[in-house]
Amino acid sequence: MTTLLSDTSAPIVAVGLERTFGSGERAIRAVDGVDLSVEPGEIFGFLGPNGAGKSTTVRMLTTLLRPTGGSAKVAGFDVATQSDEVRRSIGVALQDAAIDPLMTGAELLHLQAVLYGLPKADHTARVGELLERVGLSAAGDRRVGTYSGGMRRRLDLALALIHEPSVLFLDEPTTGLDPMSRMALWDEIRRLNNDGTTVLLTTQYLEEADQLADRVAIIDHGRIVSRGRPDELKAAVGAPTLFVAVDPAQVNTASEVLTRFGELRPTAEGTLGVGLAEGAAGVSAVVRALDDAGIGVHHLELNAPSLDDVFADATGHRLEGAS
Amino acid sequence: MSASTGLAVRSLRNIRRLPSAFLPALLMPVFQVVSFSGTYAGITAIPGFPTDRSVNWYLPMAVTMGASFAGLGTGFSMIRDLQTGFYDRIRMAPASRRDILLGPYLAAWTRAVIAVVLVTVVGFALGARPEGNPAAVLSLFVAGIGVATIGTGWGLGLAYRFKDMRAAAIMQLTLFLGLFLTDAQTPIDIMTGWLQTVATWNPLTRVLHVARLGFVEGGSIGDLVLGLIVMIVLGSLAWLFAFTGLRRLDD
Amino acid sequence: MSTATAQQLVALSKRSVQSILRQPSVVVPSMVFPLFFVALGTSSFGRAISIPGFPVVDSFLDFALAGSVVQGVLFGSITSATALATDIETGFFDRLLLTPSPRVGILVGRLAGAMVYGFAQTVFFVVVLLPFGLSIKSGVLGLIAMMVGGLLTALAVGAVMSAMALRTGSSEAVQGSFPLLFVLLFFSSAFFPRQTMDGIYRRIADLNPVSYLVEGFRSLTIGDLSTVAVAQTIAIPAAIAVGGLGISMRSLRRRVAAS
Repeated sequence: MTTLLSDTSAPIVAVGLERTFGSGERAIRAVDGVDLSVEPGEIFGFLGPNGAGKSTTVRMLTTLLRPTGGSAKVAGFDVATQSDEVRRSIGVALQDAAIDPLMTGAELLHLQAVLYGLPKADHTARVGELLERVGLSAAGDRRVGTYSGGMRRRLDLALALIHEPSVLFLDEPTTGLDPMSRMALWDEIRRLNNDGTTVLLTTQYLEEADQLADRVAIIDHGRIVSRGRPDELKAAVGAPTLFVAVDPAQVNTASEVLTRFGELRPTAEGTLGVGLAEGAAGVSAVVRALDDAGIGVHHLELNAPSLDDVFADATGHRLEGAS
Repeated sequence: MSASTGLAVRSLRNIRRLPSAFLPALLMPVFQVVSFSGTYAGITAIPGFPTDRSVNWYLPMAVTMGASFAGLGTGFSMIRDLQTGFYDRIRMAPASRRDILLGPYLAAWTRAVIAVVLVTVVGFALGARPEGNPAAVLSLFVAGIGVATIGTGWGLGLAYRFKDMRAAAIMQLTLFLGLFLTDAQTPIDIMTGWLQTVATWNPLTRVLHVARLGFVEGGSIGDLVLGLIVMIVLGSLAWLFAFTGLRRLDD
Repeated sequence: MSTATAQQLVALSKRSVQSILRQPSVVVPSMVFPLFFVALGTSSFGRAISIPGFPVVDSFLDFALAGSVVQGVLFGSITSATALATDIETGFFDRLLLTPSPRVGILVGRLAGAMVYGFAQTVFFVVVLLPFGLSIKSGVLGLIAMMVGGLLTALAVGAVMSAMALRTGSSEAVQGSFPLLFVLLFFSSAFFPRQTMDGIYRRIADLNPVSYLVEGFRSLTIGDLSTVAVAQTIAIPAAIAVGGLGISMRSLRRRVAAS
C-alpha cells in the first residue's frame, strides 16, 4: 500500500481509506475502504446519494477528520501526518457554504488571506481580484447574511482560491442553486480547470458530473461501486432503457413480458425499465407484446444510457428521485 | 497580522454587529455592583468587616464576574461558529493550532478589559475607593485577565466537546457556582457553616482576593502570590482543556 | 359555566402545568436558584442578623424564605406569559379560536397553570427548608395564607405579563422584560431589610411594591399571625391581579377582534 502511495504523482490518492464513527456494536462504518487516484489537471466527479460517504471522504482528504484506516495523500503529502502541508496546497468549498453571516464578503476574504499567511501587502489586491473574478465586486462590502444562495457559493469559491491552490475540493457546490447560478458556477469551475487546477467535486447531480467530470467514481454505502470515464461507463451499460408505466395491478404481468426483450433495470416506483438491446428499433415489438398481453400502457419513454443507468446498474437503485 | 490577531479582530468586530450577544454580559456585572453594594450596605456594620464601604467589597466581585463573562462569551461565539460550519473553514487553514486557539483568547482579554473598565468606573461613581495605594486598581485588571483566561479555556473546551448549546448551559452553571461558592458575598471569617469550608478551598476565592487587594484591609503579598499561582495553574489547565478539545474535533 | 366549558378549561390548564414541568430551563431558575441563594445567604449572612436595623429573627434562613418564595414565583410566572406568546407565534392561538371553546380559555388556562405552579413552589420551598431549621412562627394558618399569597402572586405577575404577550404576540418581548423583574426584586427588601439600607437605595426600596409583598410573607414567617401580615400577603397580589386581569382581558378582546 505504501508503495502505491509513494510511487504516484497523482494529486489525490487514497488507498483503503476508512472511517468508523462510534465503537462496539453501534459503530457505523461511513467510509469502507475507498481507493482513489485523481490525475493532475482533471476534474474528478464523486457521485453518490446523501449519506453514502462522499462528504466523510472529502473531510478526511481535506484534514478535517482523521481516517480510522487506510491512508491518503493530497498534493504529495500525507493527510494524517502532514496536514499543514496539505492545507497549504488545497482549496475547499464546503457543503452549505459555511460562512459567517455577520461579516462582509471582503472581510471574510481578508481573514482568509491572514489565515493562509499571504504577505500583507498583497491582501487588498488579491481580495479585489477574487471578488471581481466571482462577480461580487459590488457586493463585497455587504454582510454575507444579505447574500443570495448563488452569491454565497461564489464567495465560497473565492475563499477557496485565496492562496491559488493546486488542488480544489468542491463539496456539492451547486446543491440548492437555481439553474442559472448552477451554470455560472460550472463555467467558473471549467475555467479554473483550464488554468491547471485539479478538481475533486462531489455531487448528487448526475448531470453535473456528466457536464464537468473527466472521470467519475460512484460511492454507495461507503464503498466505490463503479468508476471510469462517463462515456465509458455509459457504454458499458450498453442498451438504452425503455421506461414503461402501466396499471399497478398489471405490473407483474408486464414485467414478465418485458423480460423477453432484455434485462430488467431498477426504476423509480410506478414504472418498469428494460434494457433494449436493439435500441429504438425494438420499441414497436415491445408495444405489440404488451398489447397482446392486454396491458394498458400509460407512458412510454426511451432513454439513452445515462450516469443514472450506470448508477442503477452498479447499486441496484436509482439516484435521481431518491433524495 | 498573524492568524490569531486576524481571528481576534473578527470576533471583536462581530460583537459590535451582534450587540445583543454582548451587552447583557456587560450590563450584568454593572447591575451586580450597583445592586449588591446598595442592598447589602448594612453588612459593613458586622464586627470585623474589612472595609466600611460595601462597594469596596462588591466592586472586585463584580469585576471578576464581568471578566468571566468575557470568557464565556467567547465560548458562546465558538458554539455559533461550530454550528454554522464556519469553524471548519478556520480549521482548514494552514495556521498553527496554537494561533487558532490564541485568536479567541485575545478577543476575550479585550472584552475583559472593557468590562473591568466599565464596572470600575461605575464602582468609583458609587464611592469605591482603594484604601491607601491608588495602584490597587491594577489588581482589578490582573484578576480580570486571570479569570477571563480561565473562563475562556473552560468555555472553548466545552464548546469543542459538545458543539451545541449544552456547552453554554454547563459553562454558565459551573462558572456561576464556582464564583458564588467563594467569599463573593461576605468575608470567610464572617461566614457561618458549610460555605466557610467550601469557600476556603475554592481556588477562585484566591483570585477574588487578588482583585480585592488594596480595596479591603488585610491583603498581603502572600495573597497576591497565591492568587497568581492559582490563575497560572487554572489558566494553563483550561488552555490544555481547550487545546485537547480542538484536537478532538479531528476525531 | 357548562360542564363542557369547565372540561376545556381544565384541559388547557393541565397542558399549561405540564409544559412548565417539562422545561428544565424553567424549573431550574424558579425552583433551584432561589434555594441556592437561600443556602448561600444563610451561610454568608448568618452574623448579619445582629446588625442595627435587622428585624428580630432566629436565623437568616427564617428571614430569607420570603425573598426566595417571591423570587421563585416571579421567575416562574413569566414563563406562562412567554408560553402564551409562543402560542400566538405558532398559530395554536388561532387554531383555538376556531374551536367552539370560550375565547378566554387560552388565557385562563395559562394563568391557572401559573397559579398551580406558584402554589406548588411555596409549598416546595417551605418543605425543603423545614429540615434545615426553618420555622413558620404564624403556624398553619399563616402557612395557608402564604400559599394563597404565592398563588395570587403568580396570578398577578402572570396577568400583567400576559397582557404584554397578547399585545405584542412576541415571546421575545415577554422574555425581554425579565431584567425588569430582576431590578424590581433586587431594589426591594427581598434579600436584606430596608431598615439597613440608606440613601437612594432606601428610597427606592420604600417605593417598591415588591418590598411590601415580600415583607408580608416575611412577617408571617418571623412573627405571629396578624391581620396586617395576612392582608399584606394576600391583598397586594390580589390588587395587582385584578388590575392585571383587566388589562389582559382587554388585550385578549382586542387580539380576538383583530384576527
